[in-house]
Amino acid sequence: MKIVRALKSKLLLPVMSVGICIAIWQVLHLIIGGEFLPSPYQVYREAVRMFSVKIGGNTVWMHVYYSLRRVVIAYLLGAATGLPLGMYMGWNRTFDKVVKPVFEVLRPIPPIAWIPIAILWLGIGEGPKIFICYVGAFVIFVLNAYTGMRYTDPLLIAAARTYGASRRQQLFNVAIPASMPSVFAGVQNALSMSWMCVLAAELVGAREGVGYLIIQGMDMYKPPMIMVGMIIIGIIGASLAAILRRFERVVCPWRRDLT
Amino acid sequence: MDAIEAAACKLPLVPRQPTPYALKLKASARDNYISIVSFAAFLVAWELVCRLGIIGAYQLVPPSQLVTTFIMKLTNANPDGGTLLEHTETSLVLALTGFGAAVLVGVPLGLFMGWYKPLDIMVTPIFDAVRPIPPIAWIPLAIIWLGIGLPAKAFIIWLAAFVPCVINSYTGIKLTNPVLIRVAQIYGASNWETFYKIGVPSAIPMVFTGLKLSLNASWTTLVAAELLAASQGLGYLIQMGRRLAKPDIIIVGMLTIGFTGALMSWGLNRIEARFASSKRVRL
Repeated sequence: MKIVRALKSKLLLPVMSVGICIAIWQVLHLIIGGEFLPSPYQVYREAVRMFSVKIGGNTVWMHVYYSLRRVVIAYLLGAATGLPLGMYMGWNRTFDKVVKPVFEVLRPIPPIAWIPIAILWLGIGEGPKIFICYVGAFVIFVLNAYTGMRYTDPLLIAAARTYGASRRQQLFNVAIPASMPSVFAGVQNALSMSWMCVLAAELVGAREGVGYLIIQGMDMYKPPMIMVGMIIIGIIGASLAAILRRFERVVCPWRRDLT
Repeated sequence: MDAIEAAACKLPLVPRQPTPYALKLKASARDNYISIVSFAAFLVAWELVCRLGIIGAYQLVPPSQLVTTFIMKLTNANPDGGTLLEHTETSLVLALTGFGAAVLVGVPLGLFMGWYKPLDIMVTPIFDAVRPIPPIAWIPLAIIWLGIGLPAKAFIIWLAAFVPCVINSYTGIKLTNPVLIRVAQIYGASNWETFYKIGVPSAIPMVFTGLKLSLNASWTTLVAAELLAASQGLGYLIQMGRRLAKPDIIIVGMLTIGFTGALMSWGLNRIEARFASSKRVRL
């Protein structure tokens, strides 16, 4: 009985919220009217049409696949380089002081501002898009790994030292596990950041991807097409976040009470 | 006796270790030297890479040339139709307009949503449905709705800044210590009084976190909007630099974007330290 009730409340709320949203949308459509704000039904019909034809030579699924591939490659690269760098910066003082100034100059530049130079450097293929997402994810990974490491409870490290742990053991058995919560906050942010960056890169110039879908809708002056694209983007973004939350629960089980 | 001494000698010797970084929170003079030297080394390496022709002039320019371009762009409107200050002003006005409007709407909305149940139930579903869509994805729709002028960009920036404002104000006021609320009620405070004397002050640290996120988001989104549709502004400047294949203009533009963004965050941090430091808000 309990499970059924939990399922109900878990399913009921999102369904209700989507329902309310669609109702408000329909009302707005009736007030504003016309082609500016298409009705939910028009958008649904457009979605059916879009999934059955090829847009720019690719099906919608292929566009989704292209965007996701860019994000995943850039994200993994960002994690593979950013996490060790940030952790080492937080662990070794000299290294921190060496790298910090350059990093601090580059950090406030939004990843999106890298788009023009990325295109200049890497042409207009997959390169610049992956690069932009990489920059977005990398900075967040470094910052969070650094913060987690740097603000490890000094007491824990002091305790490990007292018990005669070597530097290595202090690092791998104390500091890294202690920095995990902060790292995981970064893991989430980095993914939503690279998802946003891939969109921006695809809006500026691409022949495929979900960003291309909505820019195509704009060029053809088709608000329903843009809205279908936006809904797809929202669903993928939300699912990516949900997957990571599950993953976090597996890797950081001691934080279960917090999430 | 001998046996004990022998055993003591066999104990592994723990070597003298440097103090772990986590135990040191203050920078020393030596640290600053290291930083300055490493930054100088970075600039020299960059200069050399360009001067020796390892990277072509159409891809990267040496820092020395950046300085000349920067000085030139301060007064010269060529080749993109505006001096650096004009571009910066356009972008700043736009970003701060969107940000200001978002704060004016978002913070009160978030606070009320967190306090008044009916409003929460009404607004949260809409909010949750719209939130996963990144603000940048609204750009095409905004352009169709509002044209490519200032209103479209202001709308996008407003949207980008609005979301963190609402979420943080909402969370902040939800986390108000229930004991304090009950105390206020016992002393006969009305709901409204409890709201603005207990709820709002205790939410302020979270609200400021939201403001910082908002400011960041609005600056990032501004660049995206200006890359896509603008005739002036820093995003437009770097886009023109790309069209003209002039890396010096792009990099000067990027550094200006970064610097201006950092300056705004710094200003906001100062305001926070002045009005909302944890010492002032003691709840």
